[in-house]
Amino acid sequence: MASISDLFRRFLDRPGSVNLTPFLKVVAEAGKREERVKALDQLPPPPAGDLAEFCAIVREAADRTLGLRPYDVQLTGALALLAGHVAEMATGEGKTLSGAIAAAGYALQGHRVHVISVNDYLARRDAEWMGPFYEALGVSVGWIGQTSTREERREAYARQVTYGSVSEIGFDVLRDRLSTDVADLVMTEPNVALVDEADSVLVDEARVPLVMAGATDRGGAVPQTAALVRRLVRGYHYEIDDQARNVYLTSKGIDAVEQALGVTDLYGDPAQITDVNLALHAHALLTKDVDYIVRDGKVHLINPSRGRVALLQRWPDGLQAAVEAKEAIPASETGEILDSVTVQGLITRYPQVCGMTGTAVAVGEQLREFYNLTVAVIPPNRACVRVDEEDRLFATIADKRRALVEEIAAAHALGRPILIGTLDVAESEELADLLRARGLECVVLNAKNDAEEASIVARAGEHGAITVSTQMAGRGTDIRLGEGVAELGGLYVIGCGRHASSRLDDQLRGRAGRQGDPGGSAFFVALDDDLITQYAPEERPPAPDADGVVRHRRAAYLVGHAQRVAEGVNLEIHRNTWRYTRLLEKQRELVLERREKVLRGDSAGDGLAEAAPERWAELLDTVPEEVLQEAARAIVLYHLDRGWADHLAFLNDLREGIHLRALGRMSPIDEFHREAVPAYATFMAEVESKALTTFAEADITADGLTMPGELKRPSSTWTYLVQDNPFGSEWDRVFKRISASVRG
Amino acid sequence: MLTAITRAFRTPDLRNKLLFTLGIIALFRLGSVLPTPGVHTDNVRRCLAEATQGEAGNIYGMVQLFSGGALLKLSVFALGIMPYITASIILQLLTVVIPRLEALKKEGQSGTAKITQYTRYLTIGLAVLQSTAFVALARTGQLFQNCREPLLINQDPITIITMVIVMTAGTSVVMWLGELITDRGIGNGMSILIFTQVVAVFPAELMNIFRASAWTFTAVMVVGVFMIAAVVFVEQAQRRIPVQYAKRMVGRRMYGGTSTYIPLKVNQAGIIPVIFASSLLYLPQLVTTLFASSENPNAVVQWISQNLVTGDTPAYMITFFLLIVFFTYFYVSITFNPVEVADNMKKYGGFIPGIRPGRPTAEYLNYVLTRLTAPGALYLGLISMVPIVALAVAGASQNFPFGGTSILIMVGVGLDTVKQIESQLQQRNYEGFLK
Repeated sequence: MASISDLFRRFLDRPGSVNLTPFLKVVAEAGKREERVKALDQLPPPPAGDLAEFCAIVREAADRTLGLRPYDVQLTGALALLAGHVAEMATGEGKTLSGAIAAAGYALQGHRVHVISVNDYLARRDAEWMGPFYEALGVSVGWIGQTSTREERREAYARQVTYGSVSEIGFDVLRDRLSTDVADLVMTEPNVALVDEADSVLVDEARVPLVMAGATDRGGAVPQTAALVRRLVRGYHYEIDDQARNVYLTSKGIDAVEQALGVTDLYGDPAQITDVNLALHAHALLTKDVDYIVRDGKVHLINPSRGRVALLQRWPDGLQAAVEAKEAIPASETGEILDSVTVQGLITRYPQVCGMTGTAVAVGEQLREFYNLTVAVIPPNRACVRVDEEDRLFATIADKRRALVEEIAAAHALGRPILIGTLDVAESEELADLLRARGLECVVLNAKNDAEEASIVARAGEHGAITVSTQMAGRGTDIRLGEGVAELGGLYVIGCGRHASSRLDDQLRGRAGRQGDPGGSAFFVALDDDLITQYAPEERPPAPDADGVVRHRRAAYLVGHAQRVAEGVNLEIHRNTWRYTRLLEKQRELVLERREKVLRGDSAGDGLAEAAPERWAELLDTVPEEVLQEAARAIVLYHLDRGWADHLAFLNDLREGIHLRALGRMSPIDEFHREAVPAYATFMAEVESKALTTFAEADITADGLTMPGELKRPSSTWTYLVQDNPFGSEWDRVFKRISASVRG
Repeated sequence: MLTAITRAFRTPDLRNKLLFTLGIIALFRLGSVLPTPGVHTDNVRRCLAEATQGEAGNIYGMVQLFSGGALLKLSVFALGIMPYITASIILQLLTVVIPRLEALKKEGQSGTAKITQYTRYLTIGLAVLQSTAFVALARTGQLFQNCREPLLINQDPITIITMVIVMTAGTSVVMWLGELITDRGIGNGMSILIFTQVVAVFPAELMNIFRASAWTFTAVMVVGVFMIAAVVFVEQAQRRIPVQYAKRMVGRRMYGGTSTYIPLKVNQAGIIPVIFASSLLYLPQLVTTLFASSENPNAVVQWISQNLVTGDTPAYMITFFLLIVFFTYFYVSITFNPVEVADNMKKYGGFIPGIRPGRPTAEYLNYVLTRLTAPGALYLGLISMVPIVALAVAGASQNFPFGGTSILIMVGVGLDTVKQIESQLQQRNYEGFLK
């Protein structure tokens, strides 16, 4: 029996994938009812309980409203989503429609669904595209984007189905948490999250906590420091660590800086050394057109996993100002963390979570570990016939570029459309220049012109098109083949280097070969690509042949190894982010519970009245109770938010050096908890005492309260990396020493 | 500590974890006393009784300590966790030699998972080897030197193969139990199992002492409690070197500014020096066993057997003490590399206030560490001497339960586990201070 071997295979699979048999039965049943439903003039509202009837009706509805008749596999995917799984569906299989069917299904069951996507462009496109379908089923739909106003957001969240990017939804959660007025709230209770591109959102984005910052004063970076560090020489004055995450002064560098600043001890004044460190970080680690672009006299960050400009995102704690000083741009406001949330914290708020992506199995283990989600592998409607060539390896980037241009010219001569995936903005532009120098006209799609994304993508499959793109074309974009292109071999995807994760490679490949289309893909890798020099720096790559091509078997292993090291490093970051924020999320929950009581009730006033009855009675003579309650609420909220921001700052500080505890044979995470819990108690006690002091001293009249100051709330996000134990376990250290002495 | 445990039992999921761990320990102990099929239990018991009373110290000392007496009982878990520990050490050593293994290790979790898998295979391989050797010893009657009774019920190949298979399977089960504790229970599985075996012999040993003399028993108990208290005290002692990180430019509130520091323990080396020193002192015993049978022993062997085999001679005590001091310095110097620590701090923008990053920091750390290791080494030496001295003075049994190694293991694992319980408690019990 096929099903027994199937069962056995699933048992051996780690992590196992979901058994599709029950879904297939429902879809088959829906197929039988097709004729009857087709004959109906008016489609009845689909019953939420009868899945087969539901499938039959939505299939007809999609056909009538969108002109898309869902294939069986799309319905299977939707059913897997309705069952709370992560559906793996190949590119071009129509995930968007499957997602919409599932969202409608949840909505008809009486749930409120957030369809969470990777970016605003996709959120808006999908919401508008699927709009008629939802309408036919009687389900209301809305979307939010970076530029949506508060009212628009509130309206969108009030709909049964809301499309939004993970960062926008996260920021709305954070903003709501900091609002001081019930009327300002925009979100509703979390209910169902349907995550599009689930691996990207749940795994890649989960390394980056969303951070809400309040603007304090202007950044303090001095242009002189920026000028000073510009004169320093890498390798002599400063060093950059292997993975290009940290930069530090050598003792020569310290001497030079001390001399330039005219001080004897640079480390005597923490502010001074911090200033130098930040300037050095901005100078050595952040590259224009890779990490940020300068547009309209402002520094804009580029999100590394999406290759897009992140509006409103800023670097924390003086780094933004240091970058501005480096680019000689006037300093903007500097931020202080008010609150933060990890993707994990955000997603686990939803009682029901499901997701879909083209590459889920590779992260199946992580989805289970972090989200308790299982993967359902949905077979493609038509088998993929794309030809994936083996990587072409070169000794140097220059050799690689030369070969790339040749390859593109050759394929272009046939008229075959080509999509070239580059790793960052700078590379995309350099390559475009090279191509133009060869007389090959190409279109560039990167963070600088993301507004034209839709039209560029629409033309990318046409005869003779050359599109150079950053990772932004890696997801969600469906490239349809132009006329006569299929005969030429379909879209040819060329990767300019392997990504830090094999999933990103697969996503790029997946742009070609949708719905059984022909297509091809190849990756061009140089052995001095960042991936290899950063993650396998000590390995000696094999020598190239005379033409610069490396054909040695070890080279391919080396590339795979570097990629696996990168994946391992990123997983570790994700896990540490989660381990170290889990406690934080718990504390936040308690603070929010308290905050909610204060915000929606009179607990602040009652508390103050109880603690300082004389003052309360005295004020009550001149001030109406309502106003007094309002003032009490404002005081307590102010101190609660202020104290929480301080508490977060303390925890960030603590976390930065907690790995040192491992040296005393203590577990860093346990030590972190041991310090964080009492600090929380102190914070809560301080909120109360400070609120009392303010209440006793503040100027409260019938007009209300005059506050000494208020928290402001623009927003910014960034990554902070946690290192847990860089020294390794005690045994690791022993063996490291042994190996050092063995190898001399 | 007791309140922590009672509170832990009141927290449902923590209680489940604790009960789970206790359940596993009970299973583990059951397997440690359950005889392997084919063993002549009565004879083994008789031989065992003779062996412990006999003056001849057994050469399995350390192994016996880690196996909680299971080894010589020929039980299902006779090999205990030793094969797993040996396999881990071998694989760690291999990563030094084999580049592919080293590369795997760098690949993070997926690589480490593969190495763990290899460790498990090697454990089973070692278990097959050890159990075969062990059953062979039992078959030929060499397990107990002075006991000539047959230890197996028969010499059938089937019986012997069954015994080997059962002991190997037992070792795999022990490995699994350890991993289960780490995953779903409290504390580190392997440490907890070692702890269990070390403590498991206590009741019987104490009972023996009590039977011999109630006075000695009282004295032993008093000394034991005092020593445990002293060890707990010193194990907790640390010198904190403050560290500042200069990477962020925010007026942050300082909570006393003491939360970032390098904790240097007085006993930075832990228990390893004692284990090294005792292992090394088995060598003289081995030498005399090997050469004792020769007709006219030469003077060196004679001197060794007089002075370095039993613990009641000054030469033995002094050697033991000096070895511990030496190994403490040695082990601290290989596990704490001031240059590496200083480099790591420098990379991430950390510095010790008033001291330049890089070499000056490394020198400073080295300075503090060297001075801190001196009392640490003395302490380890003294603690380890106590049972030997007690033996010499009071003539107590060789199996004095509160041996230095036992106490250090007990206190070390105990402290770690209680800390972990406390930490988990803290995370769960916010109700205490939040209305």
